[in-house]
Amino acid sequence: MNFMVTSFQYALEMIINFDAEVFQTVWVSLYTSFLAILFAALIGIPVGTILGLTRFPGRRFILTLLNTLMALPTVVIGLLLFGFFSRQGPLGPLGLLFTPLAMIAGQTVLATPIIANYTVASVSGADSRIMQTALTLGAGYIHGAWQLLKEVRFGVMAAIVAGFGRVIGEVGVAMMLGGNIRGYTRTMTTAIALETSKGEFAFGIALGIVLLTVALFVNVFMYRLQQKQ
Amino acid sequence: MDLNRSENSSCARHFPEDKAVPVDPLLALRNIEIKRSNTFTLKIDALVLQPARIYVLTGPNGSGKSTLLQLLSMLIAPDQGDVSFSGNPVRTGSDRKRLRRQITLVEQTPYLFHGTVYDNLAFGLRLRDVRGDLQRERIIKALKIARLDGFENCSAKALSGGEVSRVALARALVLQPKVLLLDEPAAGLDADILPIFEDCLKKSAESGTMIVLSSHDDEQARRLDAESLQLDSGRLARGGEASEDNPVACL
Repeated sequence: MNFMVTSFQYALEMIINFDAEVFQTVWVSLYTSFLAILFAALIGIPVGTILGLTRFPGRRFILTLLNTLMALPTVVIGLLLFGFFSRQGPLGPLGLLFTPLAMIAGQTVLATPIIANYTVASVSGADSRIMQTALTLGAGYIHGAWQLLKEVRFGVMAAIVAGFGRVIGEVGVAMMLGGNIRGYTRTMTTAIALETSKGEFAFGIALGIVLLTVALFVNVFMYRLQQKQ
Repeated sequence: MDLNRSENSSCARHFPEDKAVPVDPLLALRNIEIKRSNTFTLKIDALVLQPARIYVLTGPNGSGKSTLLQLLSMLIAPDQGDVSFSGNPVRTGSDRKRLRRQITLVEQTPYLFHGTVYDNLAFGLRLRDVRGDLQRERIIKALKIARLDGFENCSAKALSGGEVSRVALARALVLQPKVLLLDEPAAGLDADILPIFEDCLKKSAESGTMIVLSSHDDEQARRLDAESLQLDSGRLARGGEASEDNPVACL
């Protein structure tokens, strides 16, 4: 018990003293997650909007695929992309494996189905008069869809926040594609997993506290968005 | 196909040869068929609507009034038949998209976008590149017509049902459309607003706007000096025929 308390004290000291290694790890986690979410939103929101607004052959298959991808273990995504980025893989010559870019790519793949699925739900559940009103006022379908997204903006923001929550807390993709290189690809989750096994328990606790704080903010933000919706 | 010049039209015999005939009807439908369900099909053999006129569309619930208004507003395409606007055939989605800039539909339960009343009225104007002082001037004028002076900064989501109807009407009027379609607009209006609203429609028609409104009020056509179109089970039961006033109403 004493060990736990002492570790917790060390962890708090690290946070209060802005320990360089802790905050370097937090920074890598945050910037890779933010960029991954940005790319995932750029893909997932239009895909979700099209799937929510239109009916075409194969739509149901794509929806099932997106649902399946949402439940896919992160290590499986990491494994697939590892194949693409490894030396013998199709993207091997780019030399992306064990770089933040590879992590961002993997996390984008991870978050896109979540954002797309949430967007489909928001768009499908939106008032059918929104699109019709925009069209009768002279908008085209793209402008009408943009107006619809503005009307269901809280649902879309919830999609982005949910995607961010998934990405910031995942370990499989970051570990397999980033390689946990100190100061370069080490994220909060990979550091917690590996440093703790090396006996750096206080360091793990410090990162755990930051991760929990981020998760708390994400959840509070999600809750507020749902309340507004 | 130019419906106005169709030699096979059944209407040709309805008026003498020396009678002056309006050059182009604004909207013309011919042999229209729209199947909405297994039990309901809107079928209109011929209907011609003239500019600067008011048409009151009556009929029981489920008779096809809203479907006809959606067709006239270019939101839907017919399964069969021809639609023409100012003598030009409307065939493709891009034709309909282009015409929606000239035709505005106000729905029975209108939807107001989030934001202020001003934002709602500015939506269509921005699409038409009407900005700055001209935009503001037109919005203030439209709000005045709808008896909503001073409402421009109010949140659209905080309005009462009647106010929502009037904002929707102002949002349509501000665009100065060639065709104004209203789906049971009187339903959301107070009795004291109705004469003002009808006066506003008359003035719009005088300035060249063609208006079609659906209504359950049989007296409304008389008050508006409008032509009555009656739908029954998806068929045009009355109106649209040729008359001295409207010699090419039915081709």
